[in-house]
Amino acid sequence: MNFTLANPARFLAFIRIAIPWLAVFGSIVTSIGFYLAFAFAPADYQQGETVRIMYIHVPSAWLSTACYGIMALSSIGTLVWRHPLADVSAKAIAPIGAAFTFLCLLTGSLWGKPMWGTWWVWDARLTSVLVLFLIYCGILALWNAYEDPARAGRSAAVMTLVGAINLPIVKFSVDWWNTLHQPASVFRMGGPTIDRSMLWPLLVVAIGITLLMVALHFAAMRNEILRRRVRTLGIIAANYEMKRGV
Amino acid sequence: MSDDPHLGFIIAAYLAAAFVFLSLLLWVTLDYNKQKRLLNLLEASGARRRSEGDKV
Repeated sequence: MNFTLANPARFLAFIRIAIPWLAVFGSIVTSIGFYLAFAFAPADYQQGETVRIMYIHVPSAWLSTACYGIMALSSIGTLVWRHPLADVSAKAIAPIGAAFTFLCLLTGSLWGKPMWGTWWVWDARLTSVLVLFLIYCGILALWNAYEDPARAGRSAAVMTLVGAINLPIVKFSVDWWNTLHQPASVFRMGGPTIDRSMLWPLLVVAIGITLLMVALHFAAMRNEILRRRVRTLGIIAANYEMKRGV
Repeated sequence: MSDDPHLGFIIAAYLAAAFVFLSLLLWVTLDYNKQKRLLNLLEASGARRRSEGDKV
């Protein structure tokens, strides 16, 4: 395994090249996916055109848990190896994961009202995703509660790993409990139950949005590295001013 | 699709997605500009990390 990127300076040089490529490629793939979703994918025989909401709701739902997975892995890196880039990664992905979870809840509600007749129901899937959103909010609050980023990183890492118990609950809630939300139709034992004409556009959109998410994650990591440099230089400058004053 | 009775819900979902993406994009761009500006100010005042040689 190549660890040369695990140095902040080398990582900054790498993402300076990677971010524009990911952003451009992600935008193209997402645009193709939406074109396929609106021009080629048929309307659902029961839901009609409302099924188009799926092409934004489902990728948002996948990314809400994927971002948490990245945050949990980064937290292990923080607690086990105390690597500075690990908690930079965890901090940078938290607002992005919260945004995708919010989008998942909002688009789910906009899909639920015309199809279920209600904006919200306290079933296991919806409730566990709301809990995921609240965990994200708690982690963001924790990051802002400490002055020292290293201490904040360790506390947020512990909270992230405790909160990770919610991930299998989100995934399997539709199997373990009787929910209004439909069971899994793509990532399930026995293969997808969704028709290919809808599955392919969905996967293309999901790949495109994932590339955009990675670009945003790298950009937010770059900002966090710069913020820590600003903090360090600020402390050095303040110490110098203090010594000069004495 | 334009005569679908639920068109408003579909449009609202995609507008919400666009709003969330643009907000994230704006957040990383404004934050980058702010950190770069602060870093340039500190470096212009002579502040350097020990690994970079001169200290202030």
